[in-house]
Amino acid sequence: MSVSRRGLIAAGAGLPFAPLSLPARAQPASGAPIRIGVLFDLSGPLAAAGSQACAVGAEIAFDLFNERGGAGGRPAQVVAADSQSRAEVAINEAERLISQEGLDVVMGVFSSAHAMPLAQRFEAQRKLLWITTAISTAVIKGRNFTHVFRPTVHSDQYGEASVQFLLEHSERAMRIAPNNLRVAIIHEDGPYGTGVAAATDTLAKAAGMRVVLHEGYAATAPDLSTLVTKLRRERPDVILHTGYNPDITLFLRQAKAGGLRTRMIIGQGAGYSQIDRLTETFGAEMNHFCNVDPAGTQMLEPEKLTPEVRDLRQVLMQRYEAKTRARDLPTHASTGFNSAWTFLENVLKPAVRDGGGSIAAMIRATQSVDLPVGGTIQGHGLKFYPPGHEMAGQNERSSTVVMQYENARAKVVWPTAIASGPPVLPFPASSPFALRS
Amino acid sequence: MDPFLLEALVNGILLGGVFALPVLGCNLVFGVVDVVWLCYAELVMVGMYAVWFLHTQQAWPLYLAFAAALPLVGLLGVLLHLIVVKPLLGAPPINQLLATGGVLFVLQGGAMLVFGTDFRSLGVELPPMEWHDVFVSGTKLAAFCAALAGAAALWAFLKFTYIGIAIRAIARDREVMPLMGVDPRRVYVVASAVGGALAGLAACLLVVQLDVHPFIGLSFGPITFMICVMGGLGNMLGGFLAAFLMGLIVSTGSFWWNTEMSYVIAFAFFIAVIFGRPRGLFAR
Repeated sequence: MSVSRRGLIAAGAGLPFAPLSLPARAQPASGAPIRIGVLFDLSGPLAAAGSQACAVGAEIAFDLFNERGGAGGRPAQVVAADSQSRAEVAINEAERLISQEGLDVVMGVFSSAHAMPLAQRFEAQRKLLWITTAISTAVIKGRNFTHVFRPTVHSDQYGEASVQFLLEHSERAMRIAPNNLRVAIIHEDGPYGTGVAAATDTLAKAAGMRVVLHEGYAATAPDLSTLVTKLRRERPDVILHTGYNPDITLFLRQAKAGGLRTRMIIGQGAGYSQIDRLTETFGAEMNHFCNVDPAGTQMLEPEKLTPEVRDLRQVLMQRYEAKTRARDLPTHASTGFNSAWTFLENVLKPAVRDGGGSIAAMIRATQSVDLPVGGTIQGHGLKFYPPGHEMAGQNERSSTVVMQYENARAKVVWPTAIASGPPVLPFPASSPFALRS
Repeated sequence: MDPFLLEALVNGILLGGVFALPVLGCNLVFGVVDVVWLCYAELVMVGMYAVWFLHTQQAWPLYLAFAAALPLVGLLGVLLHLIVVKPLLGAPPINQLLATGGVLFVLQGGAMLVFGTDFRSLGVELPPMEWHDVFVSGTKLAAFCAALAGAAALWAFLKFTYIGIAIRAIARDREVMPLMGVDPRRVYVVASAVGGALAGLAACLLVVQLDVHPFIGLSFGPITFMICVMGGLGNMLGGFLAAFLMGLIVSTGSFWWNTEMSYVIAFAFFIAVIFGRPRGLFAR
């Protein structure tokens, strides 16, 4: 490993202009750039629902990768595009990146509604699509893609985590046997919400739970008060909610005004992972809400990560805070960084080294990626299901956690093996959503 | 009566109150100027940002922020008329639609540049009211009462003031009134100001119920136009009644079926109305 003179001096002297706490690795990349499309929703409702945080995370990954020498001395250059929270714009922008910009690789895509058509188009054109965030299982399952990859989780895993969490804690904490547990599933009605809700419904019923309400709504619906009325009528012990924003704030505001009380509300990613935003609106009332998503890197104990990943984690946290002044690193920032970094480091770099950076070399590199659990900043490993598998292109080592919020900070409460403590369950009396005795 | 059904009905009426003000404003402008402001929901968005900014960033008392939003959006309505609509008064309707549609994107983009894509919350709410297990949101009820008061004030303005009578006269017959000494250009400006001020009032009522962001207009803009057409474009009483009808359809549809289906029913009803009464449900 080569060490730059400037980095060595900076690290030794602890000078403020040292690149954060990052030990110097290599000369910054300076060769011919490798251009990569990066497609996120930088405007529209999805931007603040997490897409922008993903984009910032990915940007930090590119910066860091280039500072560390890039791929064989060649920097990875971002060709940014904004899908404006609209599927047709996402398709047009992806087409522009491929046909006008002449790119072979596009990464990003926040919404599953965008990922569905994009995946088909990239496969047909034999271009590589690296989906950083869109999680609907249906994007990948049974489609036998060879050019579409998703290093992050898929929607079935949200259902699995939610149900397993309840199976482990329902009786212990709420004194309700799982087969008596009344569960309500509500969701935005795009592929993301529908996918997560379908998996949750199937697994909850298989576990013997009573699904008392399963209902979707449009994320742009101006009113959800009658949904609140129906939830009150069905008296669920637990509400599992998949949504973006502002539908989540609308629901919670109307739930509070409508006298909805329950034992627990479990969010399932997207808007519920934007705890800074929710806290701005609801303050301490967000305390003890649970949320299912991949782990934000700051939630993991550093010693469970490899030393190099620990270093990445530190850089991400420092740079994200410097860029955004966020109080707590959003999960989406970790996901954006992690997905971009694993592509750059584990696919692009070997593909440039062994095959000049061609698509064929990248596809070969994806089949060779084999990071163990703890090998990425989100704690999961990385290995793709092979071609021919019904989930070909999906990371088989991805994983979700259940986190719980306290004063706008998240802590992992499931899986128990990596939990920082047991969950507070049910809502304590201080919560406006807690059942009245 | 099932308390939950009663609650759903109350929700529907309150929702109708939310829809009613933008519908009145849209219909007033269309009835008088004969131009559809496609960007009407975005005027509401600007008003919501104004209230949010003045109250949370400038520490103005809420009532002062509300009081400022009305003339501000009213002024915006006047500017919209003078800069965009007036030069196109003789142009084909599609040109007018495209122009006000363009303003929609300008306002959305402008809000995004100034305020970013974050959701902004006013952080104000009234406690709910409970009566025999029926919950009513205090905030929504207050907004509903303010909407009714606004509609009554508009009615009094149109009924008892000289300019209000002139507005109604122009809406009744655009060709004849100039022959009787009414200056339609002045009436257009006043109608645009009043239409804008109604958007400002709607903004005050919505900002306490919804987070504001540059694309908030998507939540209620399309349904506002649907209600306007359903009640009869330019027909203010028709639009007002249609707003409550739509609120009840959405609410009871959601109660008996589900939230998604309620909008399917609402749109199916709208299509049926357009086939059966193309000039609107309450057209005379």
